[in-house]
Amino acid sequence: MAASEQSSVPDTDIPDYEYIGVNTKPFRIGSVRDGWLTRLRPKDYSYQQEDKDTFEANFAEAMGISEETMAELRSVCSLDSLRCHAEDELPDTEVVPPDSTLKTLIQRKKRQDHKASLKVNKNRHDLYADELERLIVGRTPKTESDRIPEGEIILTINVYYPAVFEKFNYIRPHMTLLMTGSHNLTELRDAICCISDLQVCGEFSRTPDMAPDFLCKDHFKSAFFFFEGVFYNDMRFPECQDISITTINWAKSHNFPPFTQAKMEDTLLQDLKLKVGFPYLYCHQGDCEHLVIITDVRLVHKYDCLDKKLYPMLTHKHKVLTQKCAVCHLFIARWYTTSDQFAPSDPCLFCDKCFRMLHYDADGNKLGEFSAYPYVDRGALN
Amino acid sequence: MDFCRRHVKSDCEELLSRFRRTQSVRFEIFSGIWRDMKFASIFYGTMFHEKRPFARLVLDIASCYFLPPFSFQIRVGGLYLLHSLYHSQDTVPPEQIRLALKDWEEVKKFERDAVNAQHFDVVFILHQLMSCKAIHFTAMPTLIMFPKKRKVERSVLCEDFVERVARPQELINIDLLEELSNVHELYEKMKSSVTSQAESSSMNLTHKDLTSRLRGAVIDFHNWQQTKNGVDEEEVSGEGTSSQLESSKRAELLASIKSKAFGEAAEMCKSRRHRQVEVDHPVSEEESPHPSGRSRISKPSLRARTAENIHISGEVWKEALSRTTTSSLSTLESTAEEKPKKIKRFKWR
Ligand SMILES: [Zn+2]
Ligand SMILES: [Zn+2]
Repeated sequence: MAASEQSSVPDTDIPDYEYIGVNTKPFRIGSVRDGWLTRLRPKDYSYQQEDKDTFEANFAEAMGISEETMAELRSVCSLDSLRCHAEDELPDTEVVPPDSTLKTLIQRKKRQDHKASLKVNKNRHDLYADELERLIVGRTPKTESDRIPEGEIILTINVYYPAVFEKFNYIRPHMTLLMTGSHNLTELRDAICCISDLQVCGEFSRTPDMAPDFLCKDHFKSAFFFFEGVFYNDMRFPECQDISITTINWAKSHNFPPFTQAKMEDTLLQDLKLKVGFPYLYCHQGDCEHLVIITDVRLVHKYDCLDKKLYPMLTHKHKVLTQKCAVCHLFIARWYTTSDQFAPSDPCLFCDKCFRMLHYDADGNKLGEFSAYPYVDRGALN
Repeated sequence: MDFCRRHVKSDCEELLSRFRRTQSVRFEIFSGIWRDMKFASIFYGTMFHEKRPFARLVLDIASCYFLPPFSFQIRVGGLYLLHSLYHSQDTVPPEQIRLALKDWEEVKKFERDAVNAQHFDVVFILHQLMSCKAIHFTAMPTLIMFPKKRKVERSVLCEDFVERVARPQELINIDLLEELSNVHELYEKMKSSVTSQAESSSMNLTHKDLTSRLRGAVIDFHNWQQTKNGVDEEEVSGEGTSSQLESSKRAELLASIKSKAFGEAAEMCKSRRHRQVEVDHPVSEEESPHPSGRSRISKPSLRARTAENIHISGEVWKEALSRTTTSSLSTLESTAEEKPKKIKRFKWR
C-alpha cells in the first residue's frame, strides 16, 4: 500500500453519486476494474494472502523501525487487545448480553423479547436465507481454467418481479444474481427465471404428454434490456424479433431523444455504461416487464465463489406460497382443470401424478369429460 | 437491518467521542475504550440469518468515520473501529470492509500523513487490513438500491468529529484565487468594452480588490483560529502516550500540513500584489465575503452555493476546486445550515 504511488491523473470515469445514497452518474462498468488495477499493486487484489512474518518484516523495513519497536507494535496491536472478556471465560455469543450499555444491544434485547412473546416461528424467508448462505460459501473450482482471474469484477444485479400480481408488502419480490464483467447480457437473460417463460398455452386433456414441449420460453424468444437509451435485443435465434423497434419508432415520431439498439449477445457487462442503483428495464414475452438494478460493482475477492461455472450465481430469491394439489395436498399443482366431473371444485388443481391417476386409464386414454390446462405455479421456481 | 442503524451509529459515535476526548491517536488507548465498552459484544445474540446483514451494516457505518470530512484523529479512530469490528464479527467468511474508488486518494493522503507523523500503529493497522484481504475494492461505498433507499432519512454528521480547521483555507486555495482573479480580469475587460463611460457608477457592482480581500479574509480567519483554537489544536496534534519531544515534533508537522493552504494563499498574495499595482481598475465581485464589515454570508454560505454550482455545472468548478475534496463538499451539506452560524459569530474585521 505504501509503495504504489499513483500520481493523480484526473480520471473522468471514477464513479460518483448523482444522488447521494440513491444512484450514481453513468459510468462504464469496466472502468471500476481499470481504476482499481492502476491504483493497486497486484498483491493487494491477489487471492494469495502473505503470511504474517513476511508482512511484519516488510513493514518494519519500509518504515525503518527496529525489531524492538516492531515487537512492541505487534503486541499493542494484537487481536487479543480487542477481547472484551477474561481469557478463561468464554461468553455465549448467541445470547444478547442483558446488562450492556450499547444501544444496539438494548434494542436487540427488546426486539427478541418481543418476538419471543409472539411465539412466531422463523418465517420462510429466514429459512431460505440460510440455504443460500450455504451455497455461497467456500466453492473453489476443480480446474485452474475454471477459476475467475484475479482482478475480475463482480456485479450484483437485482431483478424485480412484475408488481401486478403481488400484493403490496414493502418487500419488493426480487432475485439477486452475482455475475462477472466478462459475462454477456444473454447470460443474464438466461439466468432470470420468470414464470411467464414457463407458461404453457392450450388445452391438453387428450395429449398430456405434449404439454411440456410448448413452453413460452421456447416459443417467444424475443427480449430486450434497456440501459441508458440503448435497447439490447436478444438476436441469438432466427425467430428472434427486434421488439424494441416499435418503441424506437414511436419515440422518433414523437420527437423524443433518439434511442439506439445493440445485440444482447454481443454485449459484455463490463462494456455497459450505466448508473449503479438506477432502475432499468428487462422485457420479455412481449409484455412481461422487470426492473433491473445493478446494486454493486467491485473487484473479485478471495472469499468469493471462484468457480466460473457457478456463475451467474443466485444469492437471493423471493419465495412465494405454492398452490398444492387438491387430492394429495402434498405436491405442487401442475394441472388446472375445468368442467371436470372428477374434481371436487371447478376449476381445480392437481399434481401430475394425481391428475393422471384420476383422469386416464392404464393405457393413457382419457376418461370422462374435462378440459385440462398445464399449470405453472408461481412458487414452482422457488 | 435498517431498524438498528440509528443505534449502531450512536454506539460508534459514543466510542469515538471517548476516543476524541483522550486527544490520542494511539491504538492502545482506543482498544482500552473498546474493552471498557465491551464493544465486541455488539455482535452477540444476532439471529443466524441476520448475522451477515448486521456485519455489513456495522462495517458500512464505521467506514464513514475513516473518511473526510472527519478530522485526522477521528479518522484514525474510524480505522481502528473498522479493524476491531472486522476481526470481532462472527461471520464466516467475514464480511469485507468496502472501499470506493473515489475515496482511494483520501486513504492514500491519510496514509501519507500517518507515515510522515510516524504514527506506526495507524500505518500498521491499515497495512494489516490490506494484507489480510479485509477490503473489497468497490465502485461505491455501499450497495445501492434505488427504490429502497428513498425512504432512508439523511444521516446527521457528528459535528464534533469534523475538522473545522482548514475548511476556508482549503476552499480558497491558490488555484481558486488564481481562477477568480482571471475571471475577474475578464469580467472587467468585458465591462469596459460594453460601457463607454468607464466611471459609470451603476456598473460598480463588485469590489475592485475582490481577490485580495478574499485572501485577506482567509488569512484573518486563519490567524484568529490560531489564537482562539490554540487549545483545541492540541487535541488533534498532541497525544497522550508519546514523549513530549515526539509530540511537539508532531504538532509542528501537523501544523505545517494544515497551514499548507494558507501558505499558498500568502504566496499568492505576493504575486497578486504585483498585478494590482499594474492593473488599477475598479474591481469587485458579489462573491466578496462582505462589503461593510457586517456579514453578508447570512444567506446561503459560500460553500452551499459552491456545492450548488458543482451540482449544476460540475466540470468547471470541479477543476477549480480540485485541491479541495468535492466529495466532502457534497456530503457536508447536512451541516451547511449549522456551520455558518459559528463563522457568523466571528467579526471579520
Ligand atoms: Zn417475466
Ligand atoms: Zn396430488
